[in-house]
Amino acid sequence: MNANLRRNWLVQGIASVGDCGLFFVAVLGALPKSLRYWRETCRQVWFVGAMSLVIVMTCGLFVGMVMALQLYYTLSIFGGTAALGTVVALSLFRELGPVITALLVAGRAGTAVTAEIGLMRATDQLDAMGMMAVDPLAYVASPRFLAGLIAMPLLASVFNAMGIFGGHLVGVTWLGLDNGTFWGNMTSTVSLHKDILDGLYKSIVFGGVVSLIAVFQGYTAPPTSEGVAYSTTRTVVFSSIVILAFDFVMTAFMT
Amino acid sequence: MTVAVAESGSPSDALVQVRDLRTRLGAKLIFDGLELAVPRGSVTAIMGPSGTGKTTLLRHLTGQLRPDAGSVRVDGEEVTTLSRRALFGLRERIGYLFQNSALLTDFSVFENVAFPLRQHARLPEELLRNIVLTKLQAVGLRGAARLMPSELSGGMARRVALARAIVFDPMLILYDEPFVGLDPIALNQVLRLIRTLNRTLGITSILVAHELAAIRQVADSVCLIANGKLVAQGAPDELVHQDSPWTRQFFGGDADGPVPFHYPAPDYATELGFAGARP
Repeated sequence: MNANLRRNWLVQGIASVGDCGLFFVAVLGALPKSLRYWRETCRQVWFVGAMSLVIVMTCGLFVGMVMALQLYYTLSIFGGTAALGTVVALSLFRELGPVITALLVAGRAGTAVTAEIGLMRATDQLDAMGMMAVDPLAYVASPRFLAGLIAMPLLASVFNAMGIFGGHLVGVTWLGLDNGTFWGNMTSTVSLHKDILDGLYKSIVFGGVVSLIAVFQGYTAPPTSEGVAYSTTRTVVFSSIVILAFDFVMTAFMT
Repeated sequence: MTVAVAESGSPSDALVQVRDLRTRLGAKLIFDGLELAVPRGSVTAIMGPSGTGKTTLLRHLTGQLRPDAGSVRVDGEEVTTLSRRALFGLRERIGYLFQNSALLTDFSVFENVAFPLRQHARLPEELLRNIVLTKLQAVGLRGAARLMPSELSGGMARRVALARAIVFDPMLILYDEPFVGLDPIALNQVLRLIRTLNRTLGITSILVAHELAAIRQVADSVCLIANGKLVAQGAPDELVHQDSPWTRQFFGGDADGPVPFHYPAPDYATELGFAGARP
């Protein structure tokens, strides 16, 4: 890769971040107007939230089960299996719940939102709305952004609940850990403010990031089938990177 | 070269006034000082070779695209400098028929036509229903009100888009290729509808189209655009018989003339590798 090309990539990357920032400001500016389209926002919350429930619940269950298996083995080396419930819950609430839910939503709902808006762009539907004096930012972009913000913490909570249930299934029902020990240690150690709410804050931020990237990629997708396909891919790639990067930064500030 | 442009309404009675419009898209110069006036209450057809900027002109008129320079006035408002809010205010008075219909794919035919009304007019549901059904009846698709856009043919989708464009009885309707994909019956009805809207409600119409026979039936005047400028303007029948190189080539369908048929390219024989074999 020569220096010019590298510089070009760098400039394009910085320009894209700048464009996304300006788009974010525009979406925020359109939020008050988008409250008029509350039905559309509800529809999007249903699409992003309720329609993602199956994948989020299934993955949450298996993540909890795998964690319980692995941690039981590790904790048994130190004779600390009584802490299984605590460790599973803390891992889920603080890290895995928000992060994995965000990755799942980016893959399921984020790509769908990008493809939908990209196709609306390609078939002039966004321009048609503009020509009917309906702001597409308020009617299309802002409700989807809001839906991500609302749905993500709810989905992360469902993921956590299923994860703990999975951990209980493996730890208590299968491996024979005492039920009282599992729940008692967990409830006495997990803090509402430091653990549960911090995780929820993370998931709200991730919800905003994923939906912003998805909407931005759709809105700026080149109006071709290849362009929409690339934008959809970029939604998953960029969302995954940004989620993990933000997770690191937020964890550093929260611990 | 003679440019056969006739006067078409003084600026005072023009609903649309374009002055010294200059637009460059990428490396291509689209408009190079275009001047155009569309009288209030008229049906004006914009014609010209493909890629000459007819759709771009419509996008300038509605503020979807800002020109590099020049003035675009619609109903006395300078579109190029309007704020977003003011632009949306102006667009409420303009109907636009997109080249590819641009129906909202999640909505039924009825809801597509009702969409502008639901957004801008707080009408009782019964009245809204009657207005929508009236417009659908006008384009012959009242019976298709419950269908989804994916269930329509290209011509039907165009007629639904036309019903949506006229649902607000706007002061100005811009039609981008309104006759493409219509069967002769639908074409005749759409022509009649455009004319009726013009005569009964005084709606000004600007059509971008290539179908000369249809334009002769419906348009009061034709503006021929080529090389970024208005090269001829007048009544359709006059223009067809006008003796200018532009009109002769365009209406005669000749490959040779001021408008090149071939996109600029290197020498044909050289590109095929035969240049050296020439005697």
